[in-house]
Amino acid sequence: MATKNISPHKFVTLVSSDGYEFVVLREATLVSPAIKGMLDPKSQFSEARTGRCVFEEINGMVLEKVVEYFHYWYKNREREDVPDMEIPVELCLELLMAADYLGLDSKNTRSFVS
Amino acid sequence: MISGRGGSMMRGGRIRPPRRPTTQTSGTDEFEQCWEKLRQALRDIHLRNAGNLSFEQLYRYSYKIVLKKAGHKLYDRVKEFEEQWFADEVIPPIRALITSNLISVTLEKVTGSSVVERRAMGEKFLKGIRASWENHNFSMNMIADVLMYLERGYVQDHSRPSIYTATIGLFRDHILRSTLKQDGAAYTIFDILNATIIDQINMEREGDVIDKALLRSCISMFESLFETDEENANEQLYLTVFEPIYLSSSQAFYQAECEKLLRESNASAWLRYTQRRLDEEAERCETTVSPLSLAKITHVVEQELLVKHTDEFLAMDGSGVKAMLDNDRVHDLANLYQLVTRVDPKKTVLRKALSTRVIELGTEIEQTLKNTDFSIAQQADAEEPADGAEKSKPKTLNAAAQQTAAAIKWVDDVLVLKDKYDGYWKTCFGEDLTLQTALTKSFADFINAFSRSSEYVSLFIDDNLKRGIKGKTEAEVDIVLDKAITLLRYLGEKDKFEQYYQKHLARRLLHAKSESQEVEQEMISRMKRELGNNFTSKFEGMFRDMRTSKEETENYRDHIRGLGDADEKHIDFNISVLAGNNWPKEIMGRTGLADGPKAKIIYPREIQALQDSFFKFYSLNRNGRVLTWVGSAGSADIKCFFPKVPGKTSGPLSKDRRYEINVSTYGMIVLMLFNDVAEDEWLSFERIQEQTNIPQADLINVLTSLSVIKAYRVLLKESQTKAAAKPGDRFTFNREFTSKAIKIKVPSVNAANRVENDEERKETDQKNEETRMYVTDATIVRIMKQRKELGHSQLITEVIQVLASRFKPDVSLIKRRIEALITREYLERAELADGSPAYQYVA
Repeated sequence: MATKNISPHKFVTLVSSDGYEFVVLREATLVSPAIKGMLDPKSQFSEARTGRCVFEEINGMVLEKVVEYFHYWYKNREREDVPDMEIPVELCLELLMAADYLGLDSKNTRSFVS
Repeated sequence: MISGRGGSMMRGGRIRPPRRPTTQTSGTDEFEQCWEKLRQALRDIHLRNAGNLSFEQLYRYSYKIVLKKAGHKLYDRVKEFEEQWFADEVIPPIRALITSNLISVTLEKVTGSSVVERRAMGEKFLKGIRASWENHNFSMNMIADVLMYLERGYVQDHSRPSIYTATIGLFRDHILRSTLKQDGAAYTIFDILNATIIDQINMEREGDVIDKALLRSCISMFESLFETDEENANEQLYLTVFEPIYLSSSQAFYQAECEKLLRESNASAWLRYTQRRLDEEAERCETTVSPLSLAKITHVVEQELLVKHTDEFLAMDGSGVKAMLDNDRVHDLANLYQLVTRVDPKKTVLRKALSTRVIELGTEIEQTLKNTDFSIAQQADAEEPADGAEKSKPKTLNAAAQQTAAAIKWVDDVLVLKDKYDGYWKTCFGEDLTLQTALTKSFADFINAFSRSSEYVSLFIDDNLKRGIKGKTEAEVDIVLDKAITLLRYLGEKDKFEQYYQKHLARRLLHAKSESQEVEQEMISRMKRELGNNFTSKFEGMFRDMRTSKEETENYRDHIRGLGDADEKHIDFNISVLAGNNWPKEIMGRTGLADGPKAKIIYPREIQALQDSFFKFYSLNRNGRVLTWVGSAGSADIKCFFPKVPGKTSGPLSKDRRYEINVSTYGMIVLMLFNDVAEDEWLSFERIQEQTNIPQADLINVLTSLSVIKAYRVLLKESQTKAAAKPGDRFTFNREFTSKAIKIKVPSVNAANRVENDEERKETDQKNEETRMYVTDATIVRIMKQRKELGHSQLITEVIQVLASRFKPDVSLIKRRIEALITREYLERAELADGSPAYQYVA
């Protein structure tokens, strides 16, 4: 679903290093400052023009979990007392790395926590 | 299962991602590779050519560099690159904009060029700066985004300014603060920029149209730049550099403006101008300059236009506050109020101006009153020889009526004044409380400064109750009463008013002059509400006396009829039994006048019989009471028979005439004397006095009213002058008296409720002093009885507090009374613990 949308489309496509593609709600991905920078329509980087972000550093398994997190965040962003998301132990470290890469610090997701 | 790769990475607080096999080879080479790619990208970004770049790629480069712990190198390289970029690409076009013409116009205030030229030049320069800044800012935002990982992974850990801050700061250091040399003087671009902006603002103030958005973006540049890279919120370049210049230039501008206004304009224009400028500056803060400055610039305008010169403008002839008040310039006043309120919550200036004007007008009323009063008196007495050497009675009568008119005019004028200022207070001054207090105080001040205010207020009420309310609706009467109460509130010497009111009320009641009993009652109950029970108890007592007297009269009549003693010479008889305390002393028998001890009036036989008969009846159920007959207050109807005059064949004189004449009690006594006198016999003044024992002053009144005024000339005076009767004159019965009416009312001199003459006033004052003395005594004793011991100053304060509702007590009076009480051994001196004087109550 590689759309050539120049005007911000409601969905964006995230591509993993091993070629998996995830179509995600644009708003949900904006929790990551890195992705937000990529998609910033003002800057007109190729990602912003195509709505397609390729992550050379993240494999499909991890990216799937990241996308799950994006939706989890988006769904619960205005709620309190949210149940923890389930994280498979074997993905822990790689997820940590991905989170670091995408800038998902507590600083950036605070709006959700508080 | 935890992936085995991560096991060794758990150190410190932060979890580092595991190194990848690829990043472990050839560290420096890869850095150079990455940097080269990034450098290309930075150029492209600056040139707006980022479309082919992948954010993710660039991001990944900086990510890798940071992971290889080469963050500091990248940071420095970026900074270096930007500095270079500035030097090569940004600064030259800006320098080109700065022409020597611009410098000389903006900084040196050379006025060679026209406004239009100047504006165009300034705008061009500002546009250049804005374009350069916006480019830079935009690129820096993008670059900062791309280098986000550097930001988080390196900058935050090493507490260096963020990439964005650092590169933005370059604009400040390399452009704004770059120095230009010309003619030996050094300028920074910053100076020129500031001067240009302020020049533009001043152009707008002068009425030109300028590009507000352009100024706004230049100023927002100042807002986003800081003195240092620490970005301390208080160190915005806007606040540290631009705002002070802006404020001081505004101050200079408004100072000059205000001086011009002072010279060339008037207060009304000044008010409008100031209001407009304040609005403009507020708007300018929103649209052009920063909202941060709103309070400060407003303060500058207020200081320059309002605070420093309010007095001068208010004092302006023909347009100052005086003219505004006098000419109903409601709009100006409202403006003035709003402006003054801005700068001074206490509104001292306005308050003072109002007070002064009110007092001035109040005094003016008093002054015109004095003048008009006099001229009217002259006019009305035109027929009278206006020698005034001797106080002739008719003249006093006339003057009395006029003085009543004067009193009413005074009250009306004061009320008009009050209405006017109340109107201002409501429409212009937002019903401001401080101003209300000030107005009330000024009214009270000038009313109390006028020594006859109490008397005039009472006269006003008197006149209205006698005549004024005739034919008025309830609502109108209500308004009149309200007015009276309003004035009453202002009076400081309420005890004086009480005395006058008592006197006037007594006359109204005894002579049945009152228009409406209900309104009288209403007035009393309003006073009661306003001033308390104490104040009106006497008045109420007077009404009570009148009621019981009416019943008493009825009872007496029944009693007489019951006796069955049908007497042809029966005299119809009304009596008012008055309790001595409630009624004014003058009514109760004129004690204290120059006549000495009160002589017993000799009544005619018929009347004496009547008096005895009533007294007998009265003592039936009230043993031991004494009735004193007060001749001065009553009146009598006499049927007079005038036989036809011999020798006259036609006209009224040829017939017998019968008239019913209403005279005062004294008049009745005098006329009865002539019953026993032979035709053509003359009675001298002294003889009449001797036979009746009427006090001389009253007798003069009576004889004058019966013998001087033509329509009522029942008696003939020896000398047919219009002068008042005086001792030595002789009188006889006027056989040729005629009148068209059968019932005649002979006006008595007492009937007009006049303003007192000097002697009477002195007496009233003296009596007043006396009453105050007693009241003060009583108050002191009451307080001391309760407190047993009290310090001197404390006692004085308390006494003043208690008495304030009745009159404004004089401290020296209180001191004198304390002395007197000590002599009379009610109090004795004592000392408080701290040695200050005190008093002790002696039981």
